[in-house]
Parts: sequence; C-alpha cells; structure tokens
Amino acid sequence: MIPKALEKQFNILDFSLSSLWRRKLKNISIMLVFALVIFLLGSFQMLTGALTNSAEAVLENTADITIQKMSAGRQEAIPLAYIEKLRSIYGIRAIIPRVWGYYFDESNLANFTILALESDSMPNGDKLNLTLDHGHFPKRTEAGTVVIGRSVHTILGLGERRIFSLFRPDLSLKSFNMVGLFSQQTDLLTNDLIVMNPSDARDLFDVPTSMATDLCIYVANPSEIETIAKKIAGLLPDTRVLTKIQIQKTYQVVFSWRSGFASICLLTALVAFAILAWDKASGLSPEEKREIGILKILGWETGDILAVRFWESTLVSLLAFIIGCMAAYFHVAFFDASLLKPVMLGWSVIHPPFKLLPSVTLADLLLIFTFSVLPYLGATIVPAWRCSTVPPDSVIR
Amino acid sequence: MRPSHLLFIFLLLLTFINATLYVHAKRLANDLKADQALQTIAVAGLGLTDLCVATEARYTRHPAVSDPMAPFMDHPGAIEHFPTGSFWNAPTNSETR
Repeated sequence: MIPKALEKQFNILDFSLSSLWRRKLKNISIMLVFALVIFLLGSFQMLTGALTNSAEAVLENTADITIQKMSAGRQEAIPLAYIEKLRSIYGIRAIIPRVWGYYFDESNLANFTILALESDSMPNGDKLNLTLDHGHFPKRTEAGTVVIGRSVHTILGLGERRIFSLFRPDLSLKSFNMVGLFSQQTDLLTNDLIVMNPSDARDLFDVPTSMATDLCIYVANPSEIETIAKKIAGLLPDTRVLTKIQIQKTYQVVFSWRSGFASICLLTALVAFAILAWDKASGLSPEEKREIGILKILGWETGDILAVRFWESTLVSLLAFIIGCMAAYFHVAFFDASLLKPVMLGWSVIHPPFKLLPSVTLADLLLIFTFSVLPYLGATIVPAWRCSTVPPDSVIR
Repeated sequence: MRPSHLLFIFLLLLTFINATLYVHAKRLANDLKADQALQTIAVAGLGLTDLCVATEARYTRHPAVSDPMAPFMDHPGAIEHFPTGSFWNAPTNSETR
C-alpha cells in the first residue's frame, strides 16, 4: 500500500503533467531552449576538460626544464655556448638542444611545425619507431629524410610519393625524403609535425650551427627540478625557464570560465534566464490565475497549488538539464565537438581529429545545475505563491 | 495509464541511455589508454610540450612555450585577431591587460 502523503504527491504529479501537456507547445519550447543553453555550457566544459585531462596525462614525460632565450620580449635562438655555462650546475643529467619552428605553406595556407633534435639522446628515443604507422625515424647519417604527421601528408598531397620540397628563407628549394608517417594514435600531438635531423633544420631555417631554438634539460633527481630551474634563471638571466609542472598545467590555466568563449556561453545562459525570470515574475496569465482561483474554490490549499507549480518547474528544468547534458556528451564523444571545433581551430587549415573522452565531473554538473535549474525554480515558484494567496473570487470574476 | 507512469517510463529510458553512455565512456577510456602509451613515447622522445589542437598562431599551437601576452605583442597596440584566442583565459591581473 502506498502511504497517503505519497499518494497525494502522485496525484499532484499527475495533475501537473496534465497541466504541462495542456500547454505543451509553450512548455516543450521552454524545455528545448533551456536544454540548448545547458548543452552549450556542458559541451564547452566537457571538451576543454577532456583536452586538459589528455594534456596532463600525456605531457608528464616532457623535458624536466626547457630554456628559451628572450630578447626585447620575444623568443630568439639560444647560443649553444650556454650549454657550457650550465655544466657548472650540479644535478643536471643531460642538455639536449632542439631546432624547431613553424613553416607556413603558402599554397595551402597551412602552418606546419618543424622539429629537429638528436632523438637518440632523448628518453624513449629508441622506442620512437613505435609511434609510426610505417617507416622509421631519420638516422643521423640519413641527410634530407623526414617523418611527417598525417595531416601534413594529406595537405601536401603526397599520396604514394615520398619526395617533397620546402622553401628556405632565400626561396631556394630543399628536398626531403619521407621515411616514416606518424600513426593515427598520436594525432593529438603529431598531426602537424615534420621531424628531421638538426643539420637539415638548420639548413632549412638558416640557423647558424652555433645556435639552437631552445634547450631541453633533464635532471638526475626529479625533486630538484624547481631548485635547478631557479639556479638556471640566476645564471642565465636573459632566458625563460619553463619546468615540466608549468607545462603540464598550461591547459588548466588557458581554458577557464573566464575565457572569451565560455563567457559568451555563460552570458547567453544568464540573459536567457533573465528574460524567463522577468516573464514569469511579471505575473501569471489571466488563464493561469483563473485556474488557480477555481482550484482554491474546489478546496485546494495554497500548499497544494505551490506543490503543482513546484512539480511543473522541476520537471521542465530537470528534464532539460538531463537532455542538455546527454546531448553535450553525444556532441563531444560521437561528433568530435563539431559545433565548437570551428571556433577551437579558428583559421587553422590542419584539422586534427578529436578522439577525446568527454570530461564529466560532479563539480561541473553542479555548476551548470546552479546556473540553470535553480534560477528557473525560483522564477516560477514566487509568482505562483503571490497569486495563490489572492482571494479566489477576485481572480475568477 | 496514469501520466506519472508515462513519466517513470520516460525516466527509465533516460536512465538506460545514461547507463549505456557510462559503459561507452569506460570503453573509450580503455581504448585511449593504448593511444596514450604511444603518445607518451612521442612526448618523451621528441620533447613535445603541447597538444596539436589549433595551428593558426604560434601561441595557440604551443601555449606552454609562448608568452602569456603573445596575442598582443605583434606590434604596439595590436589587437587579438585569431579566433582561437577566444578560448583562452584572460590574464589574472586585470591591471596588466
């Protein structure tokens, strides 16, 4: 047997559902707009959360410390002579210079990242061939050979060909032989990469042999990274010193509710609710007022009428919340976040596939809930209470 | 059938879909673990610092090794014109903007 109080709530719920169904066009429209706003907020948070999580998981093996030379507020090539200065710091295990930069392909308007370093000296350098779909990494003796990312292969239209050319700064051509292609599984990191020998990169970018783009530093004891970074900053004041922890936290810092796009989503949500609240608070329609009056004449109490309104608002807002969050998951997991992707990629010609696990955390769900469901409940209950305390005969007359 | 029964059936359907999505998320997480093992090798072997998401500007391709004020440093008074910059967080100190 169902307890009497529960049976009463079931009856009120039935009445609320019938009442919602009578004005189905209006209520379904409100729910869909509501769900759309929640979908936007949810998609943004799930996508940026997924990228942040991926970055944290993958970038834990990046160099312990990265050093860049700064001049007039801009990064410039770092002299290899700095390596000798750094040898005086106890605790540094290895210093590996890298030559890297961007190559703008004018015919396709694509921006490639060119990277060159002695990969044999790097941690896991001997396993790098595992990251390839086919081929091998350029050996030190193989001049003019490269490994490229999958988008580079597509954009250059290589097909079965292996040879392609890039322009040096003086517009002379340098030929490269593709000896390997990165696997699809590493697309999130290597999609726009062209990896080559340092001598080839120096030739392509016209970088003197005494210079590099930056230095990767590995320390013997990971707990000393911060101390050694401070020592380096003191020894080489014209450099920027980045630690592994700073690099790992980058994506947590760059994506936030304060970013422009998130602000637009939030403002949209707030404006939508302001309009909704204004509409609701400005009073019920004469038809709704008459319905409340008739219910009171039939013996309904103020509490019962409030319960009906509460059930109606809760159903609309909770269903919108669940549908909006589910749609956001589908959007990010199955459709590559295709609505946010154009903004995320901007004018990029290279479109990496987003194979990401949407980040669904309780904190984010509660935040979206607080921004959406609670204001709606407040905006609908208050006018109902104001109306239900009015004498019924003055309402239905 | 009472309207509340129809609602419960609908809620059950939503619960079932959500349970399926939960299973999907678990499977996807397992698939991604294999990818992440290879990605970790690429990061360690090549010293990579960033995800390849937006390639239009150097500070959105490599935010980890770019200046925080890079969007505005192309020339004095430069405004941010790359669309991907709209995803980026504003500086914490409002006086430096």
